Amino acid sequence: MVIVEEESKASPQEQKQQNPVAENGDGLFSPRFKSVAAMAGWDEEAILVAALVVEDTPDRLCKHKKRTGLQFKTPPSNSRRKRRAQRRSPVSVPIVVLDLDEEQSGKGESEQTKVEVRDVANEEKITEEEKKTAGDELKIEDNSGVSCSNSALPCIDKLREELSCAICLEICYEPSTTTCGHSFCKKCLRSAADKCGKRCPKCRQLISNGRSCTVNTVLWNTIQLLFPQEVESRKAGGALNNPEENEHRSPARGNQYNVRTRSSRPSLASTSSQTSNPRRRGIPSQDEDAEHRILGRGIHNNVESPSVRLASVLHRDGTMRRRGRPSQDEVAATALRLERENLARLLGRDGSVRRWRSTSNEDGDEDAVFALRLQREEFMDAFIENPDQSNRTSLSLARSNLRAMASRAINIRTRRHPV
Amino acid sequence: MNSSIGVGGMPAASWVSTTSVSASGKRIQREMVELNSDPPPDCSAGPKGDNLYNWVSTIIGPTGTPYEGGIFFLDIIFPSDYPFKPPKVIFKTRIYHCNVDSAGSVWLDILKDSWSPALTVTKVLLAIRSMFTNPDTYSPIVLDIAHMYLADRAKHDELAAEWTLRFAK
Repeated sequence: MVIVEEESKASPQEQKQQNPVAENGDGLFSPRFKSVAAMAGWDEEAILVAALVVEDTPDRLCKHKKRTGLQFKTPPSNSRRKRRAQRRSPVSVPIVVLDLDEEQSGKGESEQTKVEVRDVANEEKITEEEKKTAGDELKIEDNSGVSCSNSALPCIDKLREELSCAICLEICYEPSTTTCGHSFCKKCLRSAADKCGKRCPKCRQLISNGRSCTVNTVLWNTIQLLFPQEVESRKAGGALNNPEENEHRSPARGNQYNVRTRSSRPSLASTSSQTSNPRRRGIPSQDEDAEHRILGRGIHNNVESPSVRLASVLHRDGTMRRRGRPSQDEVAATALRLERENLARLLGRDGSVRRWRSTSNEDGDEDAVFALRLQREEFMDAFIENPDQSNRTSLSLARSNLRAMASRAINIRTRRHPV
Repeated sequence: MNSSIGVGGMPAASWVSTTSVSASGKRIQREMVELNSDPPPDCSAGPKGDNLYNWVSTIIGPTGTPYEGGIFFLDIIFPSDYPFKPPKVIFKTRIYHCNVDSAGSVWLDILKDSWSPALTVTKVLLAIRSMFTNPDTYSPIVLDIAHMYLADRAKHDELAAEWTLRFAK
C-alpha cells in the first residue's frame, strides 16, 4: 500500500522533475529518461551505488527516518530526488553520459528508499500492507532477475552448475543445506535420506536427521532471483505432475469443498467432490480460493443454458489470454472449470444418474481415475499446443471428451457410493 | 537385475508412480545431454533404443594396461528409482578382470553399497576406466584373478592382454 501510493505519486513527480532540466536546454533528456524508465529491472551496480550513497551520508538517513512518519503526505523520494535533480542539472548539460548514470543511480536510490519505507512499515506492524509491499518487492526483484539471467551475467552457466542439485541435476528447488554444507533440493534430499541412508550424497558424511530439512532461504531467494524461469517452470511442473507433494492437504480441501457445495446443492456434493479430487490435489494452494470461487460460480450457474455458459467460459478465457500468455496454472484452472461445469450440467440434466447402481466395482475405480487423467492430459495438450487460437472446435471436442469421461466417472462413483 | 529391468521402462503400478519415473527419466535425459556435450575420455554412452533406461556404453582400454586397444561394450540399466538406486553395469565384452564376474557384472563398491545419488553415469564410467588400471584386489569377485594379480602380475597381464585380443578387438 505504501509503495503503491508512493509510486503513483512518483510518476507525475517524474514529469515535473524533467521540466527544469528540459528548460536548461537539454532536449534529449526526456526520451533518454523514458528509456531509463522503460528498464523495468535496475542494474545491480546502480542499486549498489545508491546503497553506498545512502550509507555514506548518515545525516541524510536520519532525515529520511524522520520523514517516514509523514510518508503519506510527502513521500521521501520526492523532495530528495528534486534536490538531486537541481544539483545535477548544471553538470548534466554538457556531459550526456554522466547524466544518464546519475539518473540511474538516482532511480536506484529511490528504490532503496522504498525498501526503507517498507522496513519502517514493518516496525509499525502494518502487517497486511507489509505483505502487499513484499509482493511488489518480489515482482520488482523478479524482473531484475530476468534481465540478469538473459544478458548481464556472463558467468550464468557456472552459476547454473553451482546452483544445481546433484541429485536431480536441475536448479535447486527449495534448497536444503546439510550440516556438511552441501545443498540439494529439499525433496531430493528427503528421498535420498529415505532411500539411500542418512548420509550426504556428496561427501557421505552422516546427516543428523534427514527428515527435518529446512530450506536455505538465502540460497533459495538467490536462485529465485537468478533463475526465475526455471523455478517457475518447475513450480508449474511440480504442481501438475506431483500429487504426492500436496497429498497430505487433500482431505482438508475435500472438507472445505464439501461444506461449500453442500450449502448450494447437497445432492451434488458427494459425487462431484470425489471425482474432482485427483485434479484438485494437483493444484497449487494459492489458486485454491480462486478455484473455489470459480467452482461456486459454476454450480450456481447450473440453471443457465449450456450455450450461455460456453460463451461465458470463452469470454473468460479471452480475458485471460489478453492479460498475457496463460501460465500452466491458468490453463489447468480453465480445464478444471470446464470439467466441473460439464459435470455439474450433466448431473443437473440427468436426474436418473443417481439411480444407476449395481454391484460395487473396486477395480473400476482405478480405471476411472486413469481414464480421467488421460482425458485431462489430452485436453491439456490441445489447450497448450494452440493457446492463441480460441477456436471452438478444439473446445467442443474437449467438451465432448470430458462429458464422456464425466459420465463414466459418475457411473462408477454412483455404483460404488449409492446416494 | 530382475525387477529393475522390468520396472525400468513401464511401471505396472498406478499413475502416481509414473511421476517418479518421469523424475528419473528427466535426470537420465539430463545426464545424456551432459555426456554428449562433455564426454569422459575414451568413453561413450547412450540409450540403446527408445528406452531411456537401457543404455549401451563403450570404453576403450586405457594405454599402459593389458586392456590397451580393446573396445569394451557395456550395458547400463537404470532402475526406476534412479538416482536413488545405482544403475546396473554389465560387460558385454568378455574381460579378464578380478572385479568383473563371468556374467559380466561389475562389482564396484560405488555400484553397490557406496552408491550415492550424486554420482552420474560419467563418474561411473570414469570409475570403471580407473578399475582397468587399478583392479580392486581387496574385494574381488573372481578370486583366482585377484590372486594371480597379486602373486604373478606378469602372467595376469599376459592373460588379460590375450583375452583383450581375443574378445575386444
